[in-house]
Amino acid sequence: MRAHLRFCVAALATTALAGGLAACSTSGTPGSSASGGGSGSAAGPTLTVDLSSYPASLDPGLQYDTESYSVYRNIFDQLLHRDPATEQVVPWLATSWKQQNATTWTFTIRKGVKFSDGEPLTAADAAFSIERILDPKFASQQQANFSAIASAAGSGNTLTITTKFPSPTLLSYLTTLSVVPEAYVKKVGNAAFNLHPVGSGPYEFVSSTPGSEVTVKRNPQYWGPKPQIASVDCRAVTDIATRAADLQSGQAQLADSMTPDNVAQLKSASLQALSTPTERVSYLAFNTIHGGPTDNAKVRQAISEAINYSALDDDLEKGYASPVNSVLTPLNIGYPKSLPNYKYDPAQAKQMIKQAGAAGQTVIMATSPTYSATIVQAIQADIQAVGLNVKIQSTDQATYLQKVQSPSHNWGSIRFGQWSCSCLDADGVAYPLFHTGTIWSSYSNPAFDQLVEKARETLAPATRDSLYAQAYGILAKDVPGIGLFQIDAIYGASTKLQWKPDAQQDFFVADMKLSS
Amino acid sequence: MTVSTAGPVPWRRSGGARAWLPITRYLGARAGQAVIALLGVTTAVFFALRLSGDPAQLLAPQNATQQQIDQIRQQLGLSVPVWRQYLNYLGDLLHGNLGYSYVQHEPALTLLTQRLPYTVNLTLAALALTIVLGVGAGMIMALTRGGWGERLLMPLVLAGQAMPAFWTGILLILVFSVTFHVLPSSGDNTATSLIMPAVTLASLSAATVARVTRGAVLEQLSRDYIRTARSKGAGTWRLIWRHLLRNVSVPVLTVLALETANLLGGSVVTEMIFAWPGVGQLTIQSVNDRDFPVVQAIVILAATIYIVINLITDIIYGFIDPRIAVTSTEAG
Repeated sequence: MRAHLRFCVAALATTALAGGLAACSTSGTPGSSASGGGSGSAAGPTLTVDLSSYPASLDPGLQYDTESYSVYRNIFDQLLHRDPATEQVVPWLATSWKQQNATTWTFTIRKGVKFSDGEPLTAADAAFSIERILDPKFASQQQANFSAIASAAGSGNTLTITTKFPSPTLLSYLTTLSVVPEAYVKKVGNAAFNLHPVGSGPYEFVSSTPGSEVTVKRNPQYWGPKPQIASVDCRAVTDIATRAADLQSGQAQLADSMTPDNVAQLKSASLQALSTPTERVSYLAFNTIHGGPTDNAKVRQAISEAINYSALDDDLEKGYASPVNSVLTPLNIGYPKSLPNYKYDPAQAKQMIKQAGAAGQTVIMATSPTYSATIVQAIQADIQAVGLNVKIQSTDQATYLQKVQSPSHNWGSIRFGQWSCSCLDADGVAYPLFHTGTIWSSYSNPAFDQLVEKARETLAPATRDSLYAQAYGILAKDVPGIGLFQIDAIYGASTKLQWKPDAQQDFFVADMKLSS
Repeated sequence: MTVSTAGPVPWRRSGGARAWLPITRYLGARAGQAVIALLGVTTAVFFALRLSGDPAQLLAPQNATQQQIDQIRQQLGLSVPVWRQYLNYLGDLLHGNLGYSYVQHEPALTLLTQRLPYTVNLTLAALALTIVLGVGAGMIMALTRGGWGERLLMPLVLAGQAMPAFWTGILLILVFSVTFHVLPSSGDNTATSLIMPAVTLASLSAATVARVTRGAVLEQLSRDYIRTARSKGAGTWRLIWRHLLRNVSVPVLTVLALETANLLGGSVVTEMIFAWPGVGQLTIQSVNDRDFPVVQAIVILAATIYIVINLITDIIYGFIDPRIAVTSTEAG
């Protein structure tokens, strides 16, 4: 027994010794490169932001995912902005604009704007920013957004844009255009520019730890009002529970991509949840070509009456969602105001399923883990309650896209999705989702096609509104899709942060204030 | 390789210089096997990835047309037949070119080497914890069998083995960051950032190592040589260092090698929870984006590490117990 005890003490001592060694090897953190900069310019608070992923690119010509936007749109200036209150397009780098004829626009570029390397920003830089996105060799993911543009040219402070056809959405998309310095990009090359972006925006790039963190600080040469926040650490924190914990422990003051479920947790920890309705719409789309039971418009109509919309908004989304009357949000131009909201009438839906002879048939519902599983399951239960059998097929996003975008239209009967065109216009929703032959559409109606084609090339707002009213009238009858609700963006924030997010999810730190 | 050692290892090293010749021949054969394994893994991953989805569809904006998607596919080099892509890929690989990330617009190798130090750091820290806690707890449990030590440690070991990393991690964050504010909840900004990820990652492996160590020590304690050593008046330290450690090290080393591989794999979940900017995070991101060049680069790296760890383990076996190396070369 004594011997055993002595053994034990020895083992403990061994442990302690090795523990000391381990402490040596764990204390250093090599590999952590430059971060925590931003002490360069004048005093002011530092904001730490948790983003749900690392920005895919810092070059604003390449990617346009939410996280990239959130970072690089603070480093660069956009050609135009939207007034957050009215959603109207307002001047930014372009102080005024004029339409010369149906396809030619001229923009006057603000004078005295400088990039943070000291070079002046000219109309030629703006033209270059457009042309490089259109250049197939550059392989920009935003090319489709600007594909209406035939050419862009700058001379002095005048930017001239020529479109291939009269484009009513041109100004909309130009609010997403960040202007890059032509001379600098050409000097260092695209790859180096992506790693070390130089812009004219309220903040300038300081450093990055790829995959982890981007640090920016106030740009002392900025032409606009001086932002209150001196520097920003944008960190990539993928796990939503960790983002919430970072806010609770005070490691971050702002976190994006929170869910309605987080809100109670945030509020109980004396944090705030900031939210805004967005132009993102949650929807169901039907396969009307090879969908089995859903090839029948009556079945689709029945399903639209089977869904308990207010339960989705109030119970699952906890009020962070608003009802819609079509696959569009009231923020988008062309929203068919005169259409009634969807109604929930399970008794009638059951009757219609019976009349269509579809009772007991199986429909396959395609979705991906990108979308909320509880919403999909609630819809499944609603549809089952009126007499159809629903099988959910959840595959990862890549497989989901491959399936539903297949030209053979054999992906099932119903799919769940979310849509946002970052253009606040019906053209970016109705056309790609339901026009015959687009990658998303498993629906075809020549009358609808004609209307959205015409609206795409019509400039007069009133005419467009009436074209979309007619087009959405057809969709209300044919039901190739159902708008479930308008989605709110939710941010978690410290109560020290003052900020009002807007529908475009503009993440302009210059609009934020942080008290100490 | 089979470990067929009966009885304790004699203390004096047998073989001497002569033992090196079969070892070099043995290493040559192993290197050949490694190249074949790497080629196999590369090929399997290359084709599996191409069956799993289309990166062009993920990269294209929502309002893209089919032509625009085709254009992206062409730019990524995905429009040529798969066998052609494979040959191109192997050709590039021979030139040390691992390709260019579709999403992040940087060479896959650069992305990987940026992230690697973080994962190596995390894995080494977790490995150190695993060795210290695992071997220490295992020995204490064996030496206090049925007593206080075992009763105290066994529940901890079982808990360590039962708790998944995503749960352990969140629990640690809640306790040490949210409640007590003593450790940072995520990222790698301070020296203390490493503590919670390393503990999370090590908990499962340490538990496994503890159980294996306990079993191995118990087996040795009943051997004659221990009784002999004790009866000759060997002190406790001498018994542990000279006799016991050496004899339990072969099974413990085997499980440690396996656990090192597990630690590298387990770091995927841990890195997600703690926003640790290592290879694990990059893996998830690249798989989701179908960023083929990056996924392939990661797989090649992982396979290489596995092979190297196995090789090192086998070499260390030889040092601890020269009979193993000799046995294996004789066998094949």
